[in-house]
Amino acid sequence: MYVELQNINKKFGGFQAADNVSFSIEQGKLIGLLGPSGSGKTTLLRIIAGLETPDSGTIVIDGQRVNDLPASERGIGFVFQNYALFRYMTVFDNIAFGLEVQKKDRAYIKERVGELIRLIGLEGLEKRRPHQLSGGQKQRVAFARALAPMPHLLLLDEPFAAIDAKVRKELRTWLRETINKVGITSIFVTHDQEEAVEVADEIIITNKGRIEQIGTPVDIYKNPATPFASKFIGESIVVEDYGRFHGFETNEGYATAVLRPEFVHVTKVDKELYPHASERGKVEDIFFRGNVLELRVNVGGEKLIAYRSLEDDPLTVGEEVSVLIYRLYLYNDRQVQLVENASLNNEQTFYI
Amino acid sequence: MKQKMIKGTLILLGGTFLVVMLVLPLATVLVYALRQGWETFSKSITDEYAVKALQLTLLTTGITVVVNTVFGIFAAWTITKFRFRGKQTLTTLIDIPFSISPVIAGLVFILVFGRIGWAYPLLEAMNLKIVFAVPGIVLATIFVTFPFVSRELIPLMQAQGNDEEEAAALMGAKGFSIFRRVTFPHIKWALLYGVILCTARSLGEFGAVSVVSGHLRGKTNTLPLHVEILFNEFQLTAAFAVSSILVLIAVIILILRNIVEHRIKREKR
Repeated sequence: MYVELQNINKKFGGFQAADNVSFSIEQGKLIGLLGPSGSGKTTLLRIIAGLETPDSGTIVIDGQRVNDLPASERGIGFVFQNYALFRYMTVFDNIAFGLEVQKKDRAYIKERVGELIRLIGLEGLEKRRPHQLSGGQKQRVAFARALAPMPHLLLLDEPFAAIDAKVRKELRTWLRETINKVGITSIFVTHDQEEAVEVADEIIITNKGRIEQIGTPVDIYKNPATPFASKFIGESIVVEDYGRFHGFETNEGYATAVLRPEFVHVTKVDKELYPHASERGKVEDIFFRGNVLELRVNVGGEKLIAYRSLEDDPLTVGEEVSVLIYRLYLYNDRQVQLVENASLNNEQTFYI
Repeated sequence: MKQKMIKGTLILLGGTFLVVMLVLPLATVLVYALRQGWETFSKSITDEYAVKALQLTLLTTGITVVVNTVFGIFAAWTITKFRFRGKQTLTTLIDIPFSISPVIAGLVFILVFGRIGWAYPLLEAMNLKIVFAVPGIVLATIFVTFPFVSRELIPLMQAQGNDEEEAAALMGAKGFSIFRRVTFPHIKWALLYGVILCTARSLGEFGAVSVVSGHLRGKTNTLPLHVEILFNEFQLTAAFAVSSILVLIAVIILILRNIVEHRIKREKR
């Protein structure tokens, strides 16, 4: 394991920003720390960097305990949320800063900075000041500046938060490719699940200063370990009275259920395949989502979300439809359980 | 039409007020100073005691500005770049001189360092003289003017945040190098502005200095005190002549101030 946090605690006044946090990260991985604002993810990043001191716990980087090592000696590159570029220096001087501090010779600095400027594709803008750059360009300069002294670990705090939506997508792909090219272990913080799923090899979900789940995006999506994780990744709605759906029984241990659009199948009433497993609902809204239609269907007062292919027979708002729920996540305060539609199984065996 | 009238009236009122309250008195100083001809004027300002007073004023101002600049930078740095308990109290303490009458400031020094003061035996033992001597004048001036620099810097540095400094520190830059390369370029015009205000105030400080100085001609008399003495002796022409030196310095400072203000505005864009 390359980076290891062991039982980290940190309090700001009465606010518990890190509550006995432990996790480890493999070398070369791109990790997303995902959580809502106030979940303590930035604090964790700053603790790893050495910008905050934990109240207790151990931080290990590359086999060495670094708790008492000053930030500058941890071999870390840090990209700040608002870039924190030195506004009175040119692009070149910004990137060269870390190397100058290390007293590298000038020829080397020139070569290394040139190399990085080519990497970020800003040739010709070396003499610009930060205020003459666009958001995306600033982001790239901040990235190059962090990489210049050849850190072993790159930390990025909300790297895309301050960039407008259109450039953000493009920059995400770019960042992922570039990090892979450079081959540096990286951790980035984000509150945007789409961003985390798209960019990270592995996601660490944080909530209220605790780790909810660690795993690959697919892993977390398929097997959410906690109620929070099941709600945080993917679009989902929460249903309280799940026992009234056909094929599901109320389980005493689980008060509520999470329902994902992928678990819901909507068909025209005359094309209903599994009448015993299905509900009747009414289409309330239809949204065009580019490659798919998103439906809002009212089933006995609950508004379910479902997707429908553009190839299927078109539905109209107000139409009565058949709604089949394949499965649900049941959850209580601590546990999550995946439940399949029981009637569906029976019906299938019956037909076979 | 109505708008125009309001505008015109307001400008007229403002202008009149400025002329009556500021321009007229300052012009009077010069007129009075030159009333008995150039010869009297130059004699008054080259008078031994006047020159001594000017020297002392410049010396005091010099020391005060250096001390307060250093203090101001440290204070602003501490308050804006670190988190600690009692920060609010410290910020309030820095502002005390703004809210205390200078005369009281002077009295405080008498009570501490004067013959009746608790520190007097200690000073006596070390053969130091503070009250009724130059050190007292310098101390009093420092006391009165010490918020100027830090007050200019704190809001600016607070707005800037610590990100750039943290970035520099993460790359291994040390304290002074961070200040020189990252913080200073950002605050230099505000710093200069604070220094100018501090200088202006130090040059003209009367109340606190008057209490601790003892008015010893040629020894502990600053320029403002000298003016008062001349005035009390009914040497009106001489008093105004010496005043005109202070007016001249004030005008120069005013011009500098405007230049710096202009630069700050440009930086902000």
